[in-house]
Amino acid sequence: MRVKKMLAAGMAVTMAASVALSGCSSSAKTGADATSAGAITESGSSTGESKAENEIKKPDKITIMVNSTVTTKANNRDAFEKRWEELTGIDLEIIQPDHDAYFDVLGQSFASGPENWPDVIILNGSYYTGYAEEGALWDMTEAWENSELKASGRVTGEDVIEATKIDGKLYGFPDARRGGCLTYVKKKWLDNCGLEAPTTYEEYLNMLKAFTEGDPDGNGINGDTYGVSASGLMGAKGGDPSSNYLPEFYQDAQPNFVRGEDGIWYDGFTKENFKGALERLRDAYSKGYIDKESLTNGTKDCRNKFYEDKFGVFTYWAGTWASNLKNNLEANGKDGELIPLKPIKEVGTYEEGTAPVWAITSACENPEGVFKYFIESMLDGGDMQMLWSYGVEDVHWSTKAETVLDKTYAAGEFHTRESLEQPGTQYTKQHLDPTLAIATWENDPGKDTVKEEAKVSQKIFNENCHQAIIIPSTEVMATYNGDLTTLKNSIVADVVVQGLSIDAAYERFEKEGGAEWSKLIVDSLNELGSSK
Amino acid sequence: MNTKKKGPAAKAAGSNKRPLLVSLRYYKGFYLMFLPVLAFAIVFNYLPMFGIRYAFYSYKGIKEPVFVGLAHFEKMMKMSGFWNAFGNTITLSVVKLLLNTFTAVALSLMLNEMKSATFKKITQTIVYLPHFMSWVVTASVFTLILSPTSAGLVNSILIKLGILKEGIYFLADKSWWRTMFYGINVWKDTGWGTIIFIATLSGINPELYEAAAMDGAGRWNKLRFITMPALNNTIITVLILNLAKVMNLFESVFVMQNDAVIQVSDVLHTYIYTQTFNSGALPDYGYTTAVGLTASLVGCVFVMVCNKASHKVRGRGIV
Repeated sequence: MRVKKMLAAGMAVTMAASVALSGCSSSAKTGADATSAGAITESGSSTGESKAENEIKKPDKITIMVNSTVTTKANNRDAFEKRWEELTGIDLEIIQPDHDAYFDVLGQSFASGPENWPDVIILNGSYYTGYAEEGALWDMTEAWENSELKASGRVTGEDVIEATKIDGKLYGFPDARRGGCLTYVKKKWLDNCGLEAPTTYEEYLNMLKAFTEGDPDGNGINGDTYGVSASGLMGAKGGDPSSNYLPEFYQDAQPNFVRGEDGIWYDGFTKENFKGALERLRDAYSKGYIDKESLTNGTKDCRNKFYEDKFGVFTYWAGTWASNLKNNLEANGKDGELIPLKPIKEVGTYEEGTAPVWAITSACENPEGVFKYFIESMLDGGDMQMLWSYGVEDVHWSTKAETVLDKTYAAGEFHTRESLEQPGTQYTKQHLDPTLAIATWENDPGKDTVKEEAKVSQKIFNENCHQAIIIPSTEVMATYNGDLTTLKNSIVADVVVQGLSIDAAYERFEKEGGAEWSKLIVDSLNELGSSK
Repeated sequence: MNTKKKGPAAKAAGSNKRPLLVSLRYYKGFYLMFLPVLAFAIVFNYLPMFGIRYAFYSYKGIKEPVFVGLAHFEKMMKMSGFWNAFGNTITLSVVKLLLNTFTAVALSLMLNEMKSATFKKITQTIVYLPHFMSWVVTASVFTLILSPTSAGLVNSILIKLGILKEGIYFLADKSWWRTMFYGINVWKDTGWGTIIFIATLSGINPELYEAAAMDGAGRWNKLRFITMPALNNTIITVLILNLAKVMNLFESVFVMQNDAVIQVSDVLHTYIYTQTFNSGALPDYGYTTAVGLTASLVGCVFVMVCNKASHKVRGRGIV
């Protein structure tokens, strides 16, 4: 009996404490909210005041929170930090949570109040639009427009910067392109089938047919290969457009929200051209041209099948991956020559995803100074770009005569050193990929180390891509888009894998609320556009 | 018989004054040893519970949470995705629980009948092993075994036997996915589940079997009148303890799920995952907390109902 009483009392105390603490916490944070809102407004208002270059004050200290795309502790981040401080005379504090926990830790820092916000953070995708929408980021449009970097004429990726703007305002700076996927075809397979690289959908389909029904690998057996494989039917989980692995089937159709040339938003899934894409996918899947396991494939599964010569057409990342694919094919005893395809006529251009950005928080006391001395300097074409690209001399790279792994370098020959974090491999970059940087760098010492096939595929991609548009974040989207995306993915799988009719698919879309959610989100996007 | 009471309870019973303090003083050694456990439970089990309040707030991790009352629960009730996930959670969990328990009981009985101790130990080791494989590895292995292509062991056997003309995409077919899910779960967890039943079986007094044999009872009657009654309590205890976890289904489903089977496989925790990472906007942690809280409450209700049922059937519960 006594125990029961004690338990009851304990429960009562716990519940009371819970309510009390919730209440206390709530009221305390409301107060803090007002403060933080004030801070954001003040900071935000300062953006309109364009400061002349000579008025920009050099910060004494800059605090940044980064993921492991920046030199990690295991890779001697201390040396990186020391070198950066030497070059600028500014104290740099780097907060670097585990890569997978980055956005959790960032969220916790923001939730703890503006006084704990770092000056600079790295953001991508919906986090970028979401943080901007919440007023947590400083508007750097003016700073960019008036920057020395822009005036230098060295910037080649102004389209990337434009694509990063949200309603015409720049809240984050992309120092490099995101890159994207293009389609590779095995040259030997084309030769064995007596085909040329396809330029239209009809030719593309003929190629897949030949690869599926013929003997493209020359092993004497017809039909033991197939045309193309993919990890998922709508690109990687989350539907990142830059990882749409079946662009030839989608062509101009988009499963997501799109802003038309008239500035009006619509849902690509509800348009007629998307139904056409579904029909193409269903047809090719039923004929066996597309890997039957596409729904359960991971990207690694696809790569392994490609190396094992199970299929001949692979849409994958341009650039360094061209070399990786070639090397792995050859390591497997297969012919490694790949043809990076220009987009077929119906595709027009490949889509390049939105690049990750460096953003300055609205709690930063001297955002102009941080933009100039931290962000802008990354692409200075000199020592700082060298540091962000290759790291510290004699730590991450060197020109001394030495042997790194199995390669011997002469004195004066630029080379990267063996990775401290991943022994057995050489560094390729520290943060900034020189082949993707958005500004030219004449004196890049590593430009000759990039393999020819990587250069070619990147060039083809860069010349034949368009930037994905940023979809703003709205309350309605946060409410419904999770369910809507799940429903869309499920419907696409039903049509392609289970052979459901297009009419039945869209009936399901209507019946399960997809059409309504889609309209609500489209309305919220258009409303957002008209209110700004 | 010595009936003299020595403890503080006895003294307290006599004097009826401040029994807690007396008890604390008398057993101070034990309480001192218990302190780290208590601190651990408070820090890691009870303090995080204050996060439940976010179910009543709109919170995106940047600005301060805004109180919204029951708005998240209202939204939840209207979302077909939630109800689909809720139904799937109950179905998958309960069927899995029943299948796992009964296959574990059956396997335990079979193991108990084995005469060769060496063979029994080898068998036990073999059936325990799958439990130690991570779900990611398990899913990879079964994705390969169940592949619709010629690489898939199951399909290639069925095709060679002439049972099928074309391979079945077991893991991407709505009519097959649940069967595969239950099968893989049974394969992975049945062996481990036998431990507690074998322990109970080994505790049954052999004299009972000898007496039954003298009364002319065969194997079936021994099983029916001695073994099963002895196992009943353990089975109910295991069922009730596992019922508390039925709403926590996540990893096993997540690694085997794909777009084609989402209607039959989406459970509450995968639904929360989708809402958090797949919305294309900053997630409202308030909504996902509300869904999580609902799952916890339903799990709690399950346990209480089962405990009550146990009281009625057996005259006692376990909670």
